[in-house]
Parts: sequence; C-alpha cells; structure tokens
Amino acid sequence: MNEPVNKALLPAGLRDALPEEAEREATAVFSLMNAFRAEGYQTVKPPLMEFEQSLLSGPGGELAQQLFRLMDPISQQMMGLRADITPQIARIAASRLAGSARPLRLCYSGQVLRVRGDQLRPERQFTQAGIELFGSDAVKADVEIVLLTVAALRAAGLQDLSIDLTVPSLAPAVLTGQGHEGATADAAREALDGKDAGELRGIVGDDPLIFGLLEAVGPAETAMPRLQALDISGLAGQQIARLAETIAGIRAVEPDLSLTVDPGEYRGFEYQTGVAFSVFAPGVRGEIGRGGRYVSETGEPAVGATVYLDSVLRALPVTVSALRVYLPFGTAPDDARRCREQGNRVVAGLEPEADPEAEARRLGCTAIWHKIEVKDI
Amino acid sequence: MTTTEPLVIALPKGRILKEAMPLVRAAGIEPEAAFDDPKSRQLRFATNHPGVEIIRVRSFDVATFVAFGAAQLGIAGHDVLMEFDYSDIYAPLDLGIGFCRLAVAEPAELSRTDDPSRWSHVRVATKYPHITATHFAKRGVQAECIKLNGAMELAPTLGLCRRIVDLVSTGSTLKANGLVEVEHIADITSRLIVNRTALKTRPVEIQGWIEQFRRAVDAEAA
Repeated sequence: MNEPVNKALLPAGLRDALPEEAEREATAVFSLMNAFRAEGYQTVKPPLMEFEQSLLSGPGGELAQQLFRLMDPISQQMMGLRADITPQIARIAASRLAGSARPLRLCYSGQVLRVRGDQLRPERQFTQAGIELFGSDAVKADVEIVLLTVAALRAAGLQDLSIDLTVPSLAPAVLTGQGHEGATADAAREALDGKDAGELRGIVGDDPLIFGLLEAVGPAETAMPRLQALDISGLAGQQIARLAETIAGIRAVEPDLSLTVDPGEYRGFEYQTGVAFSVFAPGVRGEIGRGGRYVSETGEPAVGATVYLDSVLRALPVTVSALRVYLPFGTAPDDARRCREQGNRVVAGLEPEADPEAEARRLGCTAIWHKIEVKDI
Repeated sequence: MTTTEPLVIALPKGRILKEAMPLVRAAGIEPEAAFDDPKSRQLRFATNHPGVEIIRVRSFDVATFVAFGAAQLGIAGHDVLMEFDYSDIYAPLDLGIGFCRLAVAEPAELSRTDDPSRWSHVRVATKYPHITATHFAKRGVQAECIKLNGAMELAPTLGLCRRIVDLVSTGSTLKANGLVEVEHIADITSRLIVNRTALKTRPVEIQGWIEQFRRAVDAEAA
C-alpha cells in the first residue's frame, strides 16, 4: 500500500522535455519571438504568478476553473499561477504602460499551468508565445495580427497552415434577434458550434437565418458570399462586413493562404468582441494558436494572438539533430578555437582517450576535429 | 493545398453497420470485397476511391478515432457523442438510422411503489457513466455509476444495483428481464461525424463528402 513512489513519476500532464525536444522548442520560441520583434512588437515578461484577482479580471475571467492557487504567506492574499499570459499583458498595457504611445505592440513567451488538461491536449504545463496590439480599432490591426501569426509560424518551420475566421458574437446576436434566449440560445449555439444540423433543427425549427449560419462554413471564397447574403442588419451585420474587410486585407498579402470561415465557432473566444481566428495544420489535433479582437478592462480596443508550443512541435517536421564535433583530449587551444569559429558545436574530451574516434561515436558525435579540419566519422 | 494523406472513415461494428452501409454505398463508397466477408480478420479496407479507406471499430471507438484525427469521418450514435463530449468532433448530419432512446429502467416490481421525483441518491449500472452522472446532477440527484460494458439488464435481477441507464430500442430486452422504463434521457440516432481539424484544413474535400451523405440520406427519406 505504502510503496514509495518511483522518483521518475511525474504528476499527470507534466513532463520532462529531453535534449532534442527541448532544443526544438527553444528554437521555435526564438524564431517566433524574432518574427514578432521584427514587426516592432516589444518583449515584456510578466511574473509566473500574481494575485488571483488580477489574473481573473478582463480576458482572464474564463480561466477561473483552470487556475492553480496558493496563498501568499506575505500578503495573506490568494495568488494564482497563470493559466494564460494574455490577461497579464492586458494588465501591463492598462497600468504601467498606460502612458505609452498607441498603438502599443507587445510580445511575450512563457510557461502557463492549467489545473486540467483535456482529452486532446493532456498537458497541464505548456509554453505560450504571442502578440498583443493595444489602442487601435482599425481593420488593418486585425489583418496585421493574422499575417504576423502566419509569418512567425512559418519562420518557426510550419509551412502548411490554415486560418479559420469567425465572429464569436455573431451567432448569439442572430439567435437573440430571432427570439431565442437563455438555455435555448445556449443549446442552439452549441449545436451550431458542433455543426449538428439534427440537434439545431430540434431547437430552433427550420429558421432559414440560423441555418444560413450553419451553411456559411467552409473556404472563405464560398462561405463569405453566403454569409453576406443573409438578411442580418445592425451590429451583427457590421461585424460580417468587418470580417469581409479583414479577409480582403489578408488576401491582398497572402493570396494562396488557406482561409476558412466558421460563424458558429465560439469555444475559447468568450471574451472576443470582433473578428477572431484559429490556426490549424493538417493532421495536427486541436489548434496551433488562436487570436482575435477584444476590449480591455479599461475600454481600450485590443487585438492579439497566441500560439501553443506543444501543438507547434506536433506540427513541425522532425529535424535531424545538429552536427556535433568531438575535440580529442589535448587539442591545442588555437585549434579548438578555429573549430568553434567555423560554427561547429563541440564536445571536448576531458580525459585522454585510447581511440578518439570510438570515444566520439560513443558520445553521439558525427565528426571529429582532426588537426585542422572537421573529419566525418 | 494538396494533401496526399488518405481520408479514413471509421464505421461502427454491429447493429448500426447494417443500417449504415446502404447510406455509405449510396454516397458512392464501395469497400473492397473483404469488408463483407465475415471470415476476414482485416480491420482496414480499401474502397473504390484510391484516397479513401474504411476502418471498422467498436462504436465507442469511432468517436475516439475521429476526435484524435486518426480518422477524418465516422458514423457514431448520439449516445457515444454525448458520453465523450469531445469538442473536436463535429456532427453535421443526422443519418436517420439507429433510432433508439437512452432511458433509466428499474424492476417492474420496484416501480410500482417508487417515486423518481423523491430520489436523492441512486446507484446505476451503465455503459454511460458521464451521461448518467450529468443527467442525475441536473435533477439534483447524486448518482453512483457502476460501469458495465454490456448485459446491463442483468444487474437489477442479480442485485448488483436496482437501476440501469441503457439504450432502449423496442423495449423487449427490458421486458424479458422484468424491467420498465421510468425516465427518458434522450432520443438517439446515428450521426455522420467529422474531425474538426480535418474540416478546417481540407474543407472542400470533407464538405464534398458531407454533401454526398446528405444526398444519400435525403434520397432514403424520399
């Protein structure tokens, strides 16, 4: 009963990343962040934990169930380990950087922790990297975020990407307009999200407008005309127009990018107020990243995106590990320096070896430094 | 985007398969001969479309294969979808087959004196612990679920527990075991299901198949 736990056993959803995988992730984060910085996004680094209240305010409200909490022995207040970095960036923009010039462009990367993984993403800890743009309500800002997300993922090595666009507030607006409220509206929304025509018919009958939303799913070029043909006015109508403008803006730069539209999508977009999007890669379960427009707690317009490195790594082709060159024991310092200056990764021998080549092979090196040059073994 | 990956359709073994195959064929998919050979131990079958394969798995596993993207399309009962509640499965089409219902049943003798509205705790044998717990939680009843994989009807007669939650189609199995339905949970049919990532990354191809199945279902209904 009381057997000691094997020290290698980690709690569910937590894992060690070993050399090759850890390096792949670090490289991917570096490429993403470089791409973000190249477009003028400045790096910020919020702490791993902070007061629960601030983590849960604004865009963080949906994460209450996902927060690891602990009591701060100093202030005697409840603290939370961040489950998402976005609310922290919004807090920074609204407080310490409230006086900075707008539009304010910030980027970040870091670890997040969640109480529960789900069936498809069992990880409780993973790396997030993302961008946030504060203080602009322009369509151009939405377009910039989508394009930069795509460009950064490409820089990290993901070529085959698909962007799925939605307006999360559209379906509720249409449902309310058609007189559905409360539990009925929620059930209809879930059926729309699950593309469950049978279920939807049972809830709203044969409402052509609501079924119109269900049919406006698919490649942007075919779905958008269907969506625009629906008789939707008011705020919801304006949002459809805005979605069309955003797509046009993306298309102007990326004519071949795979773009789909899905007006029923809403999970994980609970705080989004405008156009939102998810990034997919063929054969990779779940989304690679997501983003969209929201209003920060101070009422400032904001748009951002975040990518999940666990999914990014699942989508990346497995690369061969970098070449490592063995420096036999006693290699002269000048020779060793020359080897390093050629950009090689070196593994230095610490003790005299009988057969340097065998030693090199034992340590996983594919080459050895032979007097003045790299020699493959 | 060109994808050379095959499209895998997961079909459930057993009862539903007989009803589903006419629709699959009407949608223009004809599996290789081994599919209909009861002696074949093959699990994966080619079809008349070079890029389309069929796998035959247990009905509960259809949802799992599709949720994880191992299969892109599948046919699954609404009961299975409710039980797993995978967010990465879309169910765009009600196939109008496999009609039955999920219900709570108990021995006829017990039901004469039993008042379900007064329950505060029940012990239930079921294949559907998630649906059962959710159903009773909504009613404010605490449910202790005993997971069984079949022959639920035996549980009350042998004293394992007094109530079961199971699929009922004609009710004859219940009757033969001295049980009666006391609560209706949901009406069940089979759905065509689609993996979310597949629909987003291969929209034209996947929607084409959904449309083929829709036509097959409409033709059947007409």
